[in-house]
Amino acid sequence: MNESGRRGEILLRSAQFRRRREEGWKRLEILLERMESGGAASLSADEAQKLPLLYLGALSSLSVARNIALDRDLLLYLEDLSLRAYLAVYGPRATAMEMAGEFFRAGFPRAVRGMRWHLAAALALFLAGTAAGYALVRHDPAHYSTIIPAELAGERLPGAGGEELRRHLFTPWPGFVNAFVVFANSLFRHNAVIGVLGFGLGFMLGLPTMFLMIYNGMIVGAFVALHAEYGLTADVVGWLAIHGVTETTAILLCGASGFVLAEKIVFPGRLSRLENLARHGRTAAGVTAGAVGLLFVAGLIEGGFRQLINDTPGRYAFALMTAALWLYYFARIGRGPDDDLDNRPG
Amino acid sequence: MGAPRRDRRVLITPEGVALELSLAGRGERLIAFAIDLALIAAGITVFYFVAESFAVRGGTTAAARTAALFAAFLVRNGYFLHFELAWRGRTPGKRFVGLRVIDRSGGELTPGAILARNLIREAEFFLPLSLFLSLDSDAGTWRQLALGGWAALAASLPLWSRERLRAGDLIAGTGVIALPGRRLSPDLTMPPAPAARPRTFVFTGAQLAKYGAFELQVLEEILRRPDDEAAGRLLADVCGRICRRIGWRETVPPGEARRFLTDFYAAERDDLERGKLYGKLRADKNSPAR
Repeated sequence: MNESGRRGEILLRSAQFRRRREEGWKRLEILLERMESGGAASLSADEAQKLPLLYLGALSSLSVARNIALDRDLLLYLEDLSLRAYLAVYGPRATAMEMAGEFFRAGFPRAVRGMRWHLAAALALFLAGTAAGYALVRHDPAHYSTIIPAELAGERLPGAGGEELRRHLFTPWPGFVNAFVVFANSLFRHNAVIGVLGFGLGFMLGLPTMFLMIYNGMIVGAFVALHAEYGLTADVVGWLAIHGVTETTAILLCGASGFVLAEKIVFPGRLSRLENLARHGRTAAGVTAGAVGLLFVAGLIEGGFRQLINDTPGRYAFALMTAALWLYYFARIGRGPDDDLDNRPG
Repeated sequence: MGAPRRDRRVLITPEGVALELSLAGRGERLIAFAIDLALIAAGITVFYFVAESFAVRGGTTAAARTAALFAAFLVRNGYFLHFELAWRGRTPGKRFVGLRVIDRSGGELTPGAILARNLIREAEFFLPLSLFLSLDSDAGTWRQLALGGWAALAASLPLWSRERLRAGDLIAGTGVIALPGRRLSPDLTMPPAPAARPRTFVFTGAQLAKYGAFELQVLEEILRRPDDEAAGRLLADVCGRICRRIGWRETVPPGEARRFLTDFYAAERDDLERGKLYGKLRADKNSPAR
């Protein structure tokens, strides 16, 4: 190139390129701005259709600019624009309500079926705990207060006598507000914390989760054993089962999710631990969220319905009903051809 | 440009284009979280006072308190879920600071991932915090230490984990990036009014070969600075250096420094971009001349 060729106005290739493409970028930018402040609903159907095209346009502009341009400002702008468009195009599409609906309709039971072996392990630990708690307290009632924290036991202590225990099993109806609002709520919050713990602690190789499963079983076992002393076994099982079917299912689900986390950390297989966690953590977290929903139901039953149904046969019937319901829900709902694949909630 | 810096990551879009991202700074994340916490606390306080006033008007206090506690539970958990879904990975705090949640592997940010990262938040932050706060003073040093340690460990995870992930991000496969939302400024090689003036300064190929892409972009950055006195002094200084290096004979009048540099920038960029097109990009002034 000789010197005279540089005289006069220089129109660079990259500047020409920018001049031709700039309008498309600006249009994309306007759409993105509206979408970022108003959500996906702020775009018309026509604009929503254009978005992916403009996104692809920005990506190709970026690729071209990387090859021909040295304008740092332009490169950074295009990179930023492509990234924003990428996030808009590949962002979550559902609203919270839609997501919850879809989750409970199909994702939740599917995810639970996917972790049936972890669930079995949680159940086995829970049952072992129950047996141990029962055996310990039957052997020596003094173990009762070691196992069960004072605030949970209340006045139900060894030596309270059969009449006292019976009085607690069949309390009078405390009134709607107290039953469904106050009591149900505090139960729910307490249990939800335990459930989320069971999952979250799976992070620590699952050991705390194992302990939590066994311990929860021991509490139940010890509690039954205390009443068995006075021949109240059938009554106390009814008192526990009416909500316990739901509550224990939920706690076991949380434990199973914790075990999924632990397994993916300990045995990452072909993937790196991080990748493996990222892949399965979502499913496990989804199951825990579902389990918290179950705990809410359990809280209502324990706080309200248990006091409404104040006799043992009625409680057994109710418990069997809930058991059948959950079994059907988790075994049958949301079955599809891809059921055995690695399904993710949502 | 070489390998990405320590706080940069490369994300490959499903279309196969590599996008460079900058991870959110720890301070930025902390500020965003503090803003979100403040909003949540404000929301819960409002709920509490509304519930209390109902209680005064004849409802039972216990019921009102429980309702408020339950509402707090919902607000706390619903806040992050709702906003990260509706605003595509942003909460008011993140939006204020300019942060976004993304899928680390470059895929779609699924609702499941958002659910996961926020559920863990309950276990890694709110739970140890509430347990720690609700301890009696006589609860025993060990329990206090254990809970405090747990909270501190979980909360400090982004400080020392790779890619500044917190536990929720680890499990959900997400990450948080900074997204400044840049504007496109005018091209420096295009005069404000097209063809308003011809280039005054003309450079030879040998003169342009004294510099490379790195210096070009430094010059671009200097030229884009707002025009004030300090910038004027800097321009004059840079102008003098460039003149000395390329052997520019004539003196550039002080008022003409910007013009000279703009012309030099355009000519240099033209030269370098041509070279780049043929696969011969001079990376910087120390690369061998071709």
